[in-house]
Amino acid sequence: MESVLLYAFSAAALTGALLVLIARHPMRVALALIATMLSLACIYALLGVHVIAVFQVLIYVGAVMVFMVFVIMLLDTRDPSFVNRYSRLLVPGVLVATLLAAGLGHALARHYVAGPVSTSPADFRLQPFSAGFLREYWLHFELTSVLLIAAVVAAVAVIQGRGGRDG
Amino acid sequence: MDRTQFLLALSVALFALGLVGVIIRRNALVMLMCMELMVNGVILSLVTFAARTATASGAVLALLVFVVAAAEIAIAIPIVLLLVRQRQTLDVGAYARLKG
Amino acid sequence: MHLLTAIVVLPLVGFLVNGLAGPRLGRGFVTAVGCGLPILAFAAAVRCFLELTAAGGAPLVTDDYTWAEVGGHSFPVGFWFDRLSAVMTLIVTGVGSAIHVYSTGYMKDDPGYARYFAYLNLFLFFMLLLVLGRSLLVCFVGWEGVGLASYLLIGFWFEDPDKARAGKKAFITNRVGDAGFLLGMFLLYHAFGTLDINQVQTAFAAGAPLAVSADLVGILLFIGATGKSAQIPLHVWLPDAMAGPTPVSALIHAATMVTAGVYLVARLNGIYQHAPLASELIAVIGVLTAVFAATVAVAQTDIKKVLAWSTISQLGYMFLALGVGAYGVAVFHLYTHAFFKACLFLGAGSVIHALGGEQDIRRMGGLARRIPLTFATFAVATAAIAGLPPLAGFFSKDEILWFAFASERGGSPLLWGVGAVTAALSAFYMFRLLWLTFLTPSRMTAETAHHVHESPPSMTGVLVLLAVLSAVGGFLALPQFLEPVLPEPAVRASLARFETPLLVTSVILAVAGLAAAGLLYARGPARAERLAARFPGVQRVLSGGYFIDGLYDLLITRPLAWLSARVFLRAGDQLIIDGTLHGLASLAQRTATRLSRVQAGGLQLYVLLAGLGVVVCIAWMWRHV
Repeated sequence: MESVLLYAFSAAALTGALLVLIARHPMRVALALIATMLSLACIYALLGVHVIAVFQVLIYVGAVMVFMVFVIMLLDTRDPSFVNRYSRLLVPGVLVATLLAAGLGHALARHYVAGPVSTSPADFRLQPFSAGFLREYWLHFELTSVLLIAAVVAAVAVIQGRGGRDG
Repeated sequence: MDRTQFLLALSVALFALGLVGVIIRRNALVMLMCMELMVNGVILSLVTFAARTATASGAVLALLVFVVAAAEIAIAIPIVLLLVRQRQTLDVGAYARLKG
Repeated sequence: MHLLTAIVVLPLVGFLVNGLAGPRLGRGFVTAVGCGLPILAFAAAVRCFLELTAAGGAPLVTDDYTWAEVGGHSFPVGFWFDRLSAVMTLIVTGVGSAIHVYSTGYMKDDPGYARYFAYLNLFLFFMLLLVLGRSLLVCFVGWEGVGLASYLLIGFWFEDPDKARAGKKAFITNRVGDAGFLLGMFLLYHAFGTLDINQVQTAFAAGAPLAVSADLVGILLFIGATGKSAQIPLHVWLPDAMAGPTPVSALIHAATMVTAGVYLVARLNGIYQHAPLASELIAVIGVLTAVFAATVAVAQTDIKKVLAWSTISQLGYMFLALGVGAYGVAVFHLYTHAFFKACLFLGAGSVIHALGGEQDIRRMGGLARRIPLTFATFAVATAAIAGLPPLAGFFSKDEILWFAFASERGGSPLLWGVGAVTAALSAFYMFRLLWLTFLTPSRMTAETAHHVHESPPSMTGVLVLLAVLSAVGGFLALPQFLEPVLPEPAVRASLARFETPLLVTSVILAVAGLAAAGLLYARGPARAERLAARFPGVQRVLSGGYFIDGLYDLLITRPLAWLSARVFLRAGDQLIIDGTLHGLASLAQRTATRLSRVQAGGLQLYVLLAGLGVVVCIAWMWRHV
């Protein structure tokens, strides 16, 4: 049962990824990406890493992709990139990516060593996870907040330009 | 093949597809979304290992990557907006200012 | 400084002064330097000559100055004044100075006056190097130098492209001959390790086995002589050389430069006495040239061209004499020819000057009364060249014909026969010239006839001097004087009884030529033109010089020009050399253009390249990790 679900969600993720490449309208691309991300969240949940599954949906889909959708709605998408959706580097790009995938895939196929599986399942439910997280990784947590503030300041600075042009 | 190998293969596939998308799509926003796809591929591999070795640090790392991705998009979008305002188009091909 | 060196250096000083500062120094100064220094050189030559005769013919020698020492070889520069050099030097400086004086009148109105005298002095310098040189190397420097001076002087009025082209033609044709000279010198040096003339001749006299064939060296050196002395096949430059000023034609192309070839063979008689094949070749070419040039001269209509072809013909006589071993006689003819040919050329110059530039004899006539002095001197010189006794030309020409017939070293009746025909033709065309120019009724245009005037004394004085020398010069027993240096060849005893009959025949031939000319031309060219109209082909061939110029153009000039333009210019220079350079430059440019696309800000290209880099890293890891 589990593996069937796994394969199904994987297929969904791949389909979504392919649609990202193929769809013409950016809104459809965004929706395809959201589908992929949701499938990935399901996979995480299937793996038992519930925390990350939730955060995937909350942060990635709920914040990042929504932001993206807003921007797509803001901007005029009917420009040359709508008509020619592929750049000049279509063939070389596909080639390089295939080579990359082939190389990594080869490494995965030949040199994969099935390491030890943990006997005791980890507790990836929210409460135990967060307690452990804040106990041991509080510094990382604080640093990420610094990062976020820096990002906000940067975004404001970028948009404002020099000397307060309207952004 | 076992589950880990399969998921790692999926991760490689997502990463490669994201890379292809960055190279071949002309729309700036779609390029950004493909970059998100790449990051998702990486997160998948992190979570796979976390699940397999049942350590919390893997999940923590995944969480931190979420934060970084969010910060990244927070800055990338305004930059794209400025670019679009300057060049009046989302076509990445038109952004190349230095002629050969 | 030894007096010999002074003879050579004085004209050089004249060249430097007039050449560098002439235009600024005023005409009088240029004349004083330009004429005075050659006259001084002549005086020095006379002094040396007196010293020579006082010493009973022992040669004067200067100390050697070493030009170069390369490896074990040293090349000295020295001068040698024996009887032969004495005769040549006196002719060069004497006739040369006279012509310099003549030029002061002829070139009076020319803006290039100073340049002209500078070049003339340069020519004298090189000619003296040639005749006084002790080694073949110095002789060769003079040889080349007179070629250069000739080029400069033929193309003196260089603004006219035809005249400039004539100068080029002379120089290039000379160069072809010089190649032969050089090869001969190389062989001599390789064989004997020295180019000193006396040492070389001693080496040949020492007998067999010789390190190098005398015939080969003789022929090669003779090739050089053909170029310089306008023999077949390198005679084509001399008629064109008439583009230069007439005194130049007189000095260079009659009296001195063209005789350099004769001098060379005479000087190197030590080689030619052991080179029967070369001598035979010289005799044959000489006599062929003589008759060939005489036939062409019959049909010429430009006064200077007639004289030019006549010079070629007379030079042929000199080579005929050299070829049969009569070296002294050849030099004798050289000496008499210098006088009457220079007189003829200068007389022609006087005529041209009087007529304001007209050179076509069909438009002359009736000048005998108008310019009597020119006419008288011209007539004397014409009689001399025709070989009428007792003028100078008779003696020298008769001796040549005698030795051509009877010399033990290659004389034959055939050579004599052709020579005799040439003598008759010479008389014929020279008297034709005299009649058409001076004695027939005038065919001048009214305007030209109005301006006819006798030349100034600077010109006529020289004419008189040369005419007198043409008359009496034959009485100087030159071959006997030169006997110690240039031995006369033995004569076949069986033929000795023909000497007087042949002498009489020469006189008859000369008179016959005169009579024929008188018959045809006494009343003007009309009669001869009617005769020529009956044989139009012959007329065309003769006046065109047997179309040898055309032949050379077809065989040599055009293929060379084609080769240069198609092969060397198009393929070699433009395609290969320029093409390589342009190709390299454009390769660099194209590469830069392609590479600069990386810098163009193409985002996706960057990502692609990064991905490519990652792929490469993974591939590398496969093999090494």
